[in-house]
Amino acid sequence: MRFATRTFLFSFVPFVLLLLASFWAMQKLVEHTVRDSLRSSLRQTHASVARVRSNSELQNSRFLKILGENATLKAGLQLLLAAPKSLEARRTVDDQLREICEKLSFDFLLVSDPDGSPLAGVMRVGEQLVGMDIARIRPPQRGFLSVGERAYQVVSTPIDQGDENIGILSVGAPFDFSEFTTPAVLTRHGKVLKSSIPGIAPEEVEAALKNCKDQAECEMRLRGETYISLPMNSIYFGEGYVLRSLQSIDAATGPVQGILRNVFGIAGFGALLATALISVLSAQSIVRPIAGVVAHLRESERTGLLPEFKADPARIQEIRDLTESFNRAASAIREARESLYRAYVEFVGSLASALDARDRYTAGHSRRVSELSCAIARALQVKPKELDDIRIGALLHDIGKIGIADEVLQKPGKLNNEEFALIQQHPTIGRRILEGVHGFQDYLPIVELHHENWNGSGYPLGLHCEATPLGARIVHVADAYDAMTSDRPYRRGMSHEQAIRTLQQYAGTQFDPEIVPVFAKLMAIEAKRMSADATQVHLLPRVVNGNPVPPVPWISDARDI
Amino acid sequence: MTRITKLALSIAVLTSVMLPSAARAADIEGTVIIKRRLTKRRVTAPVGAYQRGVNVELPSGPGGDFLAFERARVVVYLEGEFPSHPATATLEQKDRQFVTDTLVVPVGSTVSFPNRDPIFHNVFSLSKPKTFDLGNYPKDHTRTVSFSKPGIVFVNCHLHPNMAAAIVVSPNQWSVKADASGHFVLTGVPPGNYTIVAWHRAAGFFRQRVRVAQDQASTVEFTIPLDENGDPKVVAQR
Repeated sequence: MRFATRTFLFSFVPFVLLLLASFWAMQKLVEHTVRDSLRSSLRQTHASVARVRSNSELQNSRFLKILGENATLKAGLQLLLAAPKSLEARRTVDDQLREICEKLSFDFLLVSDPDGSPLAGVMRVGEQLVGMDIARIRPPQRGFLSVGERAYQVVSTPIDQGDENIGILSVGAPFDFSEFTTPAVLTRHGKVLKSSIPGIAPEEVEAALKNCKDQAECEMRLRGETYISLPMNSIYFGEGYVLRSLQSIDAATGPVQGILRNVFGIAGFGALLATALISVLSAQSIVRPIAGVVAHLRESERTGLLPEFKADPARIQEIRDLTESFNRAASAIREARESLYRAYVEFVGSLASALDARDRYTAGHSRRVSELSCAIARALQVKPKELDDIRIGALLHDIGKIGIADEVLQKPGKLNNEEFALIQQHPTIGRRILEGVHGFQDYLPIVELHHENWNGSGYPLGLHCEATPLGARIVHVADAYDAMTSDRPYRRGMSHEQAIRTLQQYAGTQFDPEIVPVFAKLMAIEAKRMSADATQVHLLPRVVNGNPVPPVPWISDARDI
Repeated sequence: MTRITKLALSIAVLTSVMLPSAARAADIEGTVIIKRRLTKRRVTAPVGAYQRGVNVELPSGPGGDFLAFERARVVVYLEGEFPSHPATATLEQKDRQFVTDTLVVPVGSTVSFPNRDPIFHNVFSLSKPKTFDLGNYPKDHTRTVSFSKPGIVFVNCHLHPNMAAAIVVSPNQWSVKADASGHFVLTGVPPGNYTIVAWHRAAGFFRQRVRVAQDQASTVEFTIPLDENGDPKVVAQR
C-alpha cells in the first residue's frame, strides 16, 4: 500500500465512521424521544378520557336513579313479576322500555329480575328500536356488554319498591371512540370488537395484537407501520375487555427523520467531501517530502552513485534527519569506494610496474602508455567510465608478457620467426590471465586487441577498422609512440617529430586515421607547454644521454610492441 | 237522602219539565267559536330527535286544523237534574290511547273499557264523581264502570302515563259534543229558561242562560275562552 493511500485511509475512514455513528445515535435518540412523547400523549389521552368518563358516569348514575324510580316501570315490572310467563306482560314492559328509549334517547335499556337475569330489553338498531334476545345476555353492574356485533357501555341501577328490590335497570350507550384523539381498539379476550383505525380491517388488527399481553404496553406492526399500543388501565371495563389506544411511531418520527435525513444528507455529504479533500491534501503534504527522498534514492539506485541531498527537501525534522543520515552514509560509502578504487588502481599500477621492471628499457612504459591514452581519450571526449577503463586497460596492456620467457623478450639481437610468433601471443596470454579476475572484464578488449591494425593486418584476430574497440585503438597509437621514442638495447629511441611522422605515415593502415591527428595535435600543444615550463612532468620522450634518438623503423623489432 | 225520596223528587221534576215539553219541545242549536289554541301541545320534540340531528317540526295541531281539534273536544249540556236515559258507552284502549279521549254520557250510564292492544293496560280514576281502579288486564279483556253521579271523571292508565281521557257525566240526557266545525244541537228541550254549559278540558266551564220557546229553535253562541268584551256572566272554571 502506498503511503499516500494509507494516510488518506487513516484520516478519512475514522471520520466517516464517526459521522455514521453520530447519525445512527442521533436517529436512535430521536426515535427514543418520539416514543416517549407518544407514550406520554397516550397516557394523557387516557387520563382525560377517564376524567370525562367518571364525570359523565356520576351524572348518569344520578339520572339513572331517577329513572329507577319510574312508577309506571315499577308497575309494569310488578305486573311481569306477578305473571312471569305472560307474553303480554313481557310485551307491556318491552313497550314501556321502548317508550322510555324513544323519549329519553337511550340506545340500550334492559330490566332484569333481582337475580340479574334479564326480563326485557330494547336496543336501537339504525333508527329502529328492536327487542333483545335476552336469553344470552348477562348485564354487568358497570362496564362493557357486547350484544351481537355491538359493544355497549352499561350502567345499572336497582329498582326498589319500598324495601323490596324488584329488579335492575340497565342503561347502555353504544361505545365509540369519540373521546379518543388517537386510534383505539376495544378487544375482549383478544378478539377485536371495535376499532377506530381507519382503513384497516379488525382481523388485521387482531393478528397484529396477538403478541401483546392483555394489560401491558406493546408495539405492533400494521401494514408496515409500527404502532405503540397502550392499554387503558384507569377504568375497569369488565372481565376480558381491554381498551387500547394506538399511535403510529413511524408517522410521528417520519417528519423528524426526514429532516434529519436531509440535514445529514447535505451536511454529511459536505463533510465527507471536505474530509476527502483534507485527507488528500494532508496525505500529499505528508507524502511530498518523502516522495522527494524516494525519487532521489531511486535515481541513485539507477545510476549506482550515491549523490548527497543538496538542500533540505522539506522543512520537516524527520525528513531532515533522514537525509542527513543518508548523506553521511553516502559519503562514507563513497569514501570507502574511492579508497578501494585507489587501492585497486595502485595495485594494477604496481602490477604494471612489476612487469616493466623486468627490463630497464621498458621501465615506465605501461604508465606512460596509460597517461598518453588517457590524454587522447580525454581529447576525444569519451565517457568517464570508458576513460577509467582505458587508464587501467592501458596499465595492464602488456601483462601477457609475463608469460614470455626473458630470453625471447630480452634478446639483444633480431628475433627469428619462432620467437616473433611467441611475442605475438602476449595479448592472448594477457587476456587469459585477466579473464579469471573478477572485475577485470572491462579491460580485456584493450589487453587483447591493442595490436589490431586499421587495415586488418594486426593480431591476434586481424580485426578491421572500427571492429576494434576505441580503447584498444587509442592504446595502439599510444603504445606505438612510446615504443618508438624509447631506447632499445639494439637501437636508440626516435625523436618526437619522427615518431609523429611515422604515426601519420601509417594512419589508415596500422592506426585509426582519426586518432592519429588528434594525438599529433595533442602532442604539439604539449611540446609548446613544455618549452614554456621545463620543470613540468611531460608526456614527451626523455632525451637519452642528452641526444635525440636516431630514426629507426620502429616496426622492425616486435619486442617493442 | 234515601232512595225513595230521590225517586219521588225526580218524578216531581220530570213532570214539571217534561209535560209541557212533551207537547211542544224545541231544539237548542249553537256554535262554539274558538279563535285560538287551547290545549297546550307538547312544545318539545323527544330528546332523541335532537340528538339524532333530525329537523324537528313541532306539531301545529292535529290534522293541520288545530281549531277543529279543539272544537271537537267541547261538551255542551244543560244544567239541572232532569229525568235521564242511561246509556251504554265504550272507551277503547288502542295504540296506547283512550279512544275517544272525550266521552259524554248521561248520568247513570255504564261505560266499558275494552283493551284492544296486545299489551296490558290499566284504567283508573281518582276523580270525585267516581273513583275506581280496574287493575291491569290484557288484550280483549274488558271492565265496566257505571257512573251514578254527574261530573267530570278523568281516566288514566297506571302503565302508560300518557294515556288520558275525560268522561263527562251529564246530569240529564241533554248533552252533546260539538262537531269539528263547532256546531251542536240539543234536541227536544222543553220550553223554559235553562243554563247551558260548555266545557273544554283546558279552558273550563262556560255558562249562558238560554230561553227555549215553543216550537222555536234557540240559538246559542259560545266564544271560548272569552271574547274581547269579557262577558261577566260567563265564568270559566274547571
